[in-house]
Amino acid sequence: MTKQQTPAPIVEISGLTKRFPGVLALDRISVDFRPGEVHAVIGENGAGKSTLMNILAGDLQPDGGDIRIDGRQATIPSPLASRAAGITVVYQELALCPTLTIADNIMMSDMAARSAVSMVPREAMRREARAALSRLGMGKLDPDTRVGRLSVAEMQLVEIAGAIRQRARVLVLDEPNSALSKRESERLFDIIRQLRSEGVTVIYVSHHLKEVLDLADRITVMRDGRTIETLDNDGLSEDRLIRAMVGRDLNTAAQWSLQPEARSDGAPIVLSVETLTAPGLDGLTFHARAGEILGIGGLPDSGKDTLGEALFGLCGRSGRITIDDKELRAADPHASIRNGMALVPADRRGAGALLAMSVANNVVSASLPRFSLAGFMRRGAVRSEARAQVARLDARISHLGQKLATLSGGNQQKIILGRSLVTSPRVLILHEPTRGVDVGAKAEIYAILRGIAGEGVAVVMISSEIPELIMNAERVLVLRNGRISGELTGSGINEEAILARAMAS
Amino acid sequence: MADAVRTGARAPATDRLTLARLLRAREAGVFIALLALCLFLSFATDGFLTSLNLLNVGRQISLLGIMAVGMTFVLIAGEVDLSVGSSYAFSGLATGMLIIAGWALLPAIGVGLATGVAIGLINGVLSTYGRLPSLIATLGMLSIVRGAALILTNGQPVTVNARNGALPEVLQSFDYMGQGYLFTIIPMQLVFFVIIAALAWVVLSFSNFGFRVYAVGGSAKAARVSGISVNSVKICAFVLMGLLAAFAGILSMAFLPSGQAGRTGVGLELDVIAATIVGGASLSGGEGTILGTIFGVLIIGVMRNGLVLMGVSPFVQELMIGLVIIIAVGIDKWSTRRTS
Repeated sequence: MTKQQTPAPIVEISGLTKRFPGVLALDRISVDFRPGEVHAVIGENGAGKSTLMNILAGDLQPDGGDIRIDGRQATIPSPLASRAAGITVVYQELALCPTLTIADNIMMSDMAARSAVSMVPREAMRREARAALSRLGMGKLDPDTRVGRLSVAEMQLVEIAGAIRQRARVLVLDEPNSALSKRESERLFDIIRQLRSEGVTVIYVSHHLKEVLDLADRITVMRDGRTIETLDNDGLSEDRLIRAMVGRDLNTAAQWSLQPEARSDGAPIVLSVETLTAPGLDGLTFHARAGEILGIGGLPDSGKDTLGEALFGLCGRSGRITIDDKELRAADPHASIRNGMALVPADRRGAGALLAMSVANNVVSASLPRFSLAGFMRRGAVRSEARAQVARLDARISHLGQKLATLSGGNQQKIILGRSLVTSPRVLILHEPTRGVDVGAKAEIYAILRGIAGEGVAVVMISSEIPELIMNAERVLVLRNGRISGELTGSGINEEAILARAMAS
Repeated sequence: MADAVRTGARAPATDRLTLARLLRAREAGVFIALLALCLFLSFATDGFLTSLNLLNVGRQISLLGIMAVGMTFVLIAGEVDLSVGSSYAFSGLATGMLIIAGWALLPAIGVGLATGVAIGLINGVLSTYGRLPSLIATLGMLSIVRGAALILTNGQPVTVNARNGALPEVLQSFDYMGQGYLFTIIPMQLVFFVIIAALAWVVLSFSNFGFRVYAVGGSAKAARVSGISVNSVKICAFVLMGLLAAFAGILSMAFLPSGQAGRTGVGLELDVIAATIVGGASLSGGEGTILGTIFGVLIIGVMRNGLVLMGVSPFVQELMIGLVIIIAVGIDKWSTRRTS
C-alpha cells in the first residue's frame, strides 16, 4: 500500500505529568493515538503505563500537561466523562454488576440515559445484547445469564461488548490476556483486529512481546515515567523492544552493580523445594543456602506472586519443601513459622500489618506465646523487644505506642521486617520488599536484608523491580508461566538477561 | 429480519416458562420451604387450613410485609435501614395525635407520611453525601426518632377515640383503615399490603428505576461509569422505605387504636430485615425480589401462626423463628457456594 497521509490523532497527549508522594509517576510524557490503529504500550513494572491508563479512564487527574481529544483541549475529570468522550478502559478488575445479567450489563448505559420512570424494554435489551455479543462471535452466550457466573475471560468480553455498543472510539485493554486461555486470547485478537478495521483505536497494554509484535501497528515504550519512543511495528524484534525498555547503556548500569560480596557457595542448603505445584506454579525445584539472598523475578502472571504464599502454606500446594531437612506440612502456616520460615507479604495493608495497632504490638504479633504469661501480655518484655527491633532496624517512630498506620511506608516495612526477625527465622521470604517505600528507605532496607543474610539466614526476595534484584541477589531465578525459565548468577545478572527470560517466547 | 430470527433461534429458549426454569428461579428455595411448612401445618393442626385462619395470618403479616417491601429496595441498593421501627412509631403517633386534635383524616395521614419521607431523606443523605455507612447513620436515626417520639408524646400513651377528641366521622374512616374488612371478609390491612406489594413488584422488576436500584447495589462502580447517579438512587430507596414505614405505623395506630412512644415498634427493624433476608435479599446488595420478600414474610407469619395453633409456648416460638432465619439464609449461601 502506498504511504497514506497520517490520520489526525484522536487522543493526543503532550507533556503529561503525574506526581505521587515521593514518586514522579509520569514525567512529561507525550504520545498520540490515531483512529483505527492498535497501539501497544509496553514497559517494565513502574514505568508509568497504569498511571497513564488511569488518567485516560478519568480515575486520576494529571498534575500538568495537555490532553487533546479530536484536536480540542480536554480534561477527563471522572470515569463518566471518559466514557462520554468515547474512551472505555477495560481493567482486570472489571466494572460489571455480577448480580445482573449479561444483557443488563451491556445495556446499562442505555438504561441510564432513559427516564427513570420508564419501563425496562427487556425484549429489546435482549435483542440488542445478543447482537452486540454476536458481533464478537459470542452469539452462543445467553444474554439472560448472570455475569457473576461467567469466567473472567467471558466477563472481559462482555465488558468489551458493552464498550462497542456505546460506540467507544478508544478501547483501552490493560493486560487483557493474563486471565485468558490461549484460545480465548486468539478470539480476543480477532476481535481487536475487527475493531481496528472499523476505525476503533485500541490501546493495548501488555507484557507479552510476541503478541504485541503480532498485533500492534505502533508500539510506545515507557520507562521510568517517560515515553522513550514510539515505534512503527515494521521489522521489529523482541530484542529490539527489550533494549528499548532497558535503555541503559553499560555505563549507567554500572552504578547498580553493587554486587553483594558475601558468597555463600558451599554454605549448607537451608531451604529446599522440590516440584512445588500450586495455583500458577508448575513444578518448581530450587534451593537457597544459608547467608544467600536469592532473587525471584518474572512478569505479573509468571507465578512469582503466588510463590511466597505457596511456600508459606497460605494456599494449597503439592511437592516437597524442607527447612534444614525437616519437611513442612502443606497448607499450614503455623508449621512454617515453627520450622523457621517467615513471610513478609506484598500487600502490606491487607495481609502484612495490623495498621490500627501499635508498633510494639506489631513487632510481637507473630510470636505471641513468647510474650504472654497465663494469657496476659508481658508488657515489659513486649516493649523491650520492640525497642530492640526498632533500634536495630533504625525505624523512625515517635514512641512504641504509635499506630502503624501513621508511619511512612518505609518505616511500616521495617516494623514488619522486625516482626519476622522476632521469630528468629531460618528462611525469610520477602514479596515486593520495597513496594510503596521511598528511595532513601529502600537503601536502608537493602542494607538490613544483607545484614540478615550475613547472619546465616536464607533470604528469598521476590520482586518485580529488576534493579532491586540486580543490586541484592547473589542468584536470580526468573519465572515464566509457572516454571523457572532461567537461573542467573554473578555478572550474568543484568536487566536484559532477566527481561529476556521473563518475556521472550 | 432473517438474521434476527436466526440469532433468536440460536440462543437457548429462555423465555419459556419451563418447570426447570421455575425451579432455578431465585425465589424457588423459599417458596418450597413455605409450601412444606404449610403442608405440614395442614396435617398437624385442624385450624390452619381454614379461610378464616389464613386471612388472619394475612392480616398479621401485613404491616411487617409493607415495611419489608421498602427494606427490599434498601437492601438491593446495598444499604440497610435500622430506623424503621422508630419511624413506624413516630408517624403513627403523630397521625394519632393530630386526629385527636380534631384534624381531618387526610391531612393527619399526610403529615404522618411526610415525617416518614423526611426521615428517609435524612437517612439517605447521611448515607450518601454524608459518607456515613448506612448502618451507623440509621442506627443514630433509630435513637433520634425514638427520642423525638417520646418528646412529642411526653412518654404518654396515645389512644385514638371520640372521648379524647377525635371527630366521629374521621374516627370512623380511620378505624375502617385499620380494623375494617373489604367485602366483609378481607382485612383492609391485607388489601393495602397486596396493593403496595403489587406496585412495588412492577417498579422493581419492570421499571427503569428498579433496574437502577439493582445496578447500584450490584456494583456502584459499574453503575457510576454507566451514568447512573448512585446517590440519588440510594436516597430514593431510603425515602420509599421511610414512606412505607410511616404508612405501616399509621395502619397500626388505626388498628389498635393506640400506641406508646416507649413501646410501639421497638425492635421491629430486626423483624423486617429478617423477613427480607429470608426472602433472598442480600446484605451485600444487588439481590432480592419482591416475590421473595413476600415469601419471606409469609414464612415468618405462617410459622408464628402454626406454632400458636400447635400450642407451642411463645418463648419457644422466638427460638424457632431464629432457627428459621439461620437455616433459610444458610441454605441459600451453602447452595450458591456450591454452584460458584
